[in-house]
Amino acid sequence: MSLLWLRVAVLLYGIAALAVLPAALYDRPRWRHIAIPATTAAILFHFVSLAEMLNAAHHRLPVDTHETQAFLGLVLALVFLIVYARYKTVSVGVFVLPICFLLGLIPAFHPGQEYTSFPLLHTGWIFLHIALLLAAYAALLVSLLASLLYLIQERRLKSKSPAIPWLPPLETTDQIALKTLLFGLPCMTAGLLIGSLIAQATVGASYFRDPKILLAFAMWLAYVAMIFIRRHSGLRGRRAVYLSSFIFLVVLTVWAANQFSSVHRFTTP
Amino acid sequence: MSQTTPGNLVLLGINHNTAPIDVRERLAIPPGRLADATRTLLHQPGIREGLILSTCNRVELVTLQEGTAAEPGSQTGNKADLLRFLHEYFSVPPATPTPHLYEFREREAVRHLFRVASSLDSMVVGEPQILGQVKESYTVAREVGAVSTTLEALLQRTFTVAKKVRSETQIGSSSVSIASVAVDLARKIFGSLQGKTVLLVGAGKMSELAARHLIQQGAGTILVANRTESRAEKIAAEFHGTVIPFDALHEQADRADIVITSTGAPQKLFGRSHGQHFLHRRRNRPMFFIDIAVPRDVDPRMNEVEGCFVYDIDDLQQVAAANLADRSREAEAAETIVSREVDKYQQRLQTRDAVPAILALQQSAEAIREAELARAAKRLSALTPDQQAAVEALTRSLTAKLLHPQLTALRRTTSPAEDDKSSD
Repeated sequence: MSLLWLRVAVLLYGIAALAVLPAALYDRPRWRHIAIPATTAAILFHFVSLAEMLNAAHHRLPVDTHETQAFLGLVLALVFLIVYARYKTVSVGVFVLPICFLLGLIPAFHPGQEYTSFPLLHTGWIFLHIALLLAAYAALLVSLLASLLYLIQERRLKSKSPAIPWLPPLETTDQIALKTLLFGLPCMTAGLLIGSLIAQATVGASYFRDPKILLAFAMWLAYVAMIFIRRHSGLRGRRAVYLSSFIFLVVLTVWAANQFSSVHRFTTP
Repeated sequence: MSQTTPGNLVLLGINHNTAPIDVRERLAIPPGRLADATRTLLHQPGIREGLILSTCNRVELVTLQEGTAAEPGSQTGNKADLLRFLHEYFSVPPATPTPHLYEFREREAVRHLFRVASSLDSMVVGEPQILGQVKESYTVAREVGAVSTTLEALLQRTFTVAKKVRSETQIGSSSVSIASVAVDLARKIFGSLQGKTVLLVGAGKMSELAARHLIQQGAGTILVANRTESRAEKIAAEFHGTVIPFDALHEQADRADIVITSTGAPQKLFGRSHGQHFLHRRRNRPMFFIDIAVPRDVDPRMNEVEGCFVYDIDDLQQVAAANLADRSREAEAAETIVSREVDKYQQRLQTRDAVPAILALQQSAEAIREAELARAAKRLSALTPDQQAAVEALTRSLTAKLLHPQLTALRRTTSPAEDDKSSD
């Protein structure tokens, strides 16, 4: 049943991803009235599917790559809705909604075969650890997208070419980029803190010598540094994009490092 | 189209293309006198309905007149009546407006009205005010009882067409004046202009106009710097702004989000290094420089500084010209919509025209049927009530079947209009 709900959610993400194109590119409010409810409904179905999926697998959190991927899609869609509610712009959805659709597509039609019996995965704290870190990743991705949109629009305005009408004003994209980063910081900090406390209690000090874990802390430091620089000097435009891209690269590396970590793997292929 | 319509639609007018301003201003009707003028128009011989559209660019009389265009001499008579109205009401000799007048009838009058309301006939194509002006004229005409069935239907359709043009094309979406282009660009940078600070350096009509536009959009504080302090104080008073000493310009300019410069200074007031300095002090919050001065007040290299956006008069004019070209392209699409809507409207009129003929045919057939039944009444009296009812039904059915080909032919002429109704 969970797969059915996920497929419905993916279908709705697809509809929202298509509807957001005329809504954003041609400023058609009628299409916006399809894109936003479709995204909201997709989130609901996705949530139900995820809850059922985790329940059926007898664990409370996404473990395999596909589950995590789908969960990230859900969080991204949530961030998009928050951005829409706050800034009344659907432009970010042009990029975010297709990502949500693609992230859900493989788990919906080719579910993972990995399983786990690791007892720790049945605790609520681990769920919080993963949810918070995925929220931070989603926030960072949206921030990077917003910075890129800022850069594109800034280049157009500088070169005296006609501004891209569907992109939000520079100040709005800058605010989206900064506020999503600020939203991501407590999520990442709390996520890492919870993970560290659990690791300390269960694995011991050796956990903190794992390269993946060290990279995760480096990622947090880079994240804090980026926010400090952005807030302190009001960094915008090209340099902000470079900085966001660098942090995003670090995040991707941390994600990929799961494959090489000896202590941060809980699944058996 | 058949000219047996109930009335003859005539549109007579002058506009910015046909008449110079000294002629237009003699025929212009101030809003306060519009009701009186419309009432006077309605009292002209042969006028059944009427509306006057008077703006700074046009004066048009839209009238529904007695008779038809097919009647001999009616066209010249109609025009003469309207010319007499112009002569009497405005006290201008007929020779003054006559060479500048245009006249449209029936289908072309409908097309012209649709084009005017859709802003396709405006001096600045796509400007939004004209629809409001047509609506105001309609409201006045309605209040004085000068608009009833035919013009009412025409004007309602006109408003629908104008809205359709605006929603289905981008004809009014881009700015074409220097001041509005500047505002648009400011909004692309800052989003809402609420609370933004504008610095006016120097004085000039265009820079003041741009400042006025920015204030209308919510810009908060106005700073004014001018070499002549009294002039600065005068401008500041006009905009409820604050004067900053010209000597302190470089120390205080970073307070402004938008800087409009229009001094007559032979040298640049702001260089690249000033831009870097301002941005540093503003912690990289963007600044928008609108340089209307010739020679320029702002070094164009300041545009290379991240966060500084510099537009000089040529840049603004180029954006305005590009927007105008966009509007021209959109105008072509709008013309297609108008043509389609004129066809639809004419087909509706045809439908309306066919209704009396259909009714007359049906009434005539019914009269014959009843007369024949009456003649046969004695011979049918022996029949039972059921049999009499059957004969009645039989005659009705026969009449209907005999009329069917004629009615179908009449309706066929109006079938596209029925399609149109369903498509609406």
